[in-house]
Amino acid sequence: MPAAFAVASLHKRFRTRFGRTESVALDGVDLEVPRGEAFGLIGPNGAGKTTFIKCLLGISHPDSGRVELLGGRPEDPRSRARVGYLPERLTLPGAWTPRAFLASVTRLKRLRPQRSTLDALLERVGLSDAAERRIRGFSKGMRQRLGLAAALVGAPELLVLDEPTDGVDPLGRVEIRQLLAAELSRGATLFINSHLLSETERICTRIGILSRGRLVRSGPLDVLTAVQQRWRVRFADGQPAPEALIALGFEPGEGGVWEIAAPDAPALNHALDGARAAGGLLVELERASRDLEDVLTEALAAGAA
Amino acid sequence: MTSVAVALDLLREAAARRWFLALGLALTSLLLLLVTSLRLEVVDGALAATRLFGQPLYHNIQAADVALRPVFRVASQIVFWGGLGFGVLSCADFAPALLSPGRIEHLLSLPVRRWELLAGTFLGVLALALGGAIYASAGLVLVLGAKTGVWTAWPVISAVLAAVAFGSVYAGMLAVTVWVRSAALSAAAGASLIVLGLLATHRIPILDLMGQGVGRALFAGVTAVVPPLGKLADAAGALASSGPLAPGGLLRLLAGTIAFAGALLAVAVWRFDRRDF
Repeated sequence: MPAAFAVASLHKRFRTRFGRTESVALDGVDLEVPRGEAFGLIGPNGAGKTTFIKCLLGISHPDSGRVELLGGRPEDPRSRARVGYLPERLTLPGAWTPRAFLASVTRLKRLRPQRSTLDALLERVGLSDAAERRIRGFSKGMRQRLGLAAALVGAPELLVLDEPTDGVDPLGRVEIRQLLAAELSRGATLFINSHLLSETERICTRIGILSRGRLVRSGPLDVLTAVQQRWRVRFADGQPAPEALIALGFEPGEGGVWEIAAPDAPALNHALDGARAAGGLLVELERASRDLEDVLTEALAAGAA
Repeated sequence: MTSVAVALDLLREAAARRWFLALGLALTSLLLLLVTSLRLEVVDGALAATRLFGQPLYHNIQAADVALRPVFRVASQIVFWGGLGFGVLSCADFAPALLSPGRIEHLLSLPVRRWELLAGTFLGVLALALGGAIYASAGLVLVLGAKTGVWTAWPVISAVLAAVAFGSVYAGMLAVTVWVRSAALSAAAGASLIVLGLLATHRIPILDLMGQGVGRALFAGVTAVVPPLGKLADAAGALASSGPLAPGGLLRLLAGTIAFAGALLAVAVWRFDRRDF
């Protein structure tokens, strides 16, 4: 599958006015995101996430490295025409109505604004009732929704969203997740930068962890969060005896769950057969996994070492 | 076309600003005041009497078109210098607002070339200046024309000169903003260019007063490139009052002013293209 974007050996340093290097924002980042994926970039504050997005979209110029955006260069307006971007803190024209703002974005995307299309966009982000109101009276969550609507103008192939649910209430977050899921099923690629790990975990299928300008982990979410060769097992209450399970190699977990290390399927089934022979009735089996916070903590610790 | 879209957005933004609403109201009120309070009695093409709020203003009887010349000259100076001052103050914030964090990133992510953003901002401001100057001068021409039967387009053409002069000043303001995003600095740059433009108008007598040295060389260099705004204002006044103009002089002045604005815009685009946001 062709890549939505690919960056190689991306370096970006920030300098003072006198040319002295102040900080290294990106230190040789390599990353390729396939089309149709939902990719989440996570990392602590100052890790270089926003700088990465700016270099990706041609807003900042990298010191060195290669950036390919939808098969073209980010400086090429034809590439950017196929991208929708929601910045972290979008400044909106307070005196305008949301419809006028979306019409402006549509024109700048070299498309013809049509009232029905603009209204449909406002409806998608839940702002239909505020279509005639001035933006200056909007709450933070409403502004975020409008920013999202602007990113969706022209049904872009790649959506780059910097903290998309920032300031949005829990119910709104659910709506945004549903909207992003619809974009994914349309075939769009999602690139999300968020400090809300639970949000990222729910939306994204692939994750990258950026720390001090370096990509310290990258890959499918289930692979990153999986604990290799460990399984969680639950048996019907009271069966079998704990001693029998311990003898078979099971380790007691929390809430009546047992864990077992099994290098492959035959080993796992051998252990399960033993438990069943001891009178155990299997009711639940799943691969043991960690949440994204554990993965991030481990990756940052490894990166710091 | 994208620059035109950016310019139109700037005009929409301006329409919501108090500065421009106040200017529009002030100009309209002034014109309405003239419509209702100014009485001009024209007999056989001659202005026989002038009354403002019922009080006689002008006693000499002379041809109406001749009598209106000083009026148009003064009006053109008000439009020129008043327009420059108002423009510097009211437009100083446009470019800094365009470059504000959270807005410029969004604009640069759209399929817009960087030079198109600057060109659109410049065009929008120029359209504002042109609109204001033409509205004021055309309004005056209409009011006085309806009252005296003297119709002339020269005051309107002279207003275009004022807009061109402001264009050169605004190009400097835009260039400064691309380096440092500050409305105050942008306004200061505009004010400085107006002062330099006045000094450039009288550069020869000033140079004669200066002794040899770096200061003189610097002054000579700077005032050689800055448009002599005083000469442009004089030319605008002469045009408005159908006065004599040196042949080719106005064209040379205009060409120099436009070249100055173009050079500043080129510097601004060069810097803007290399900047990170």
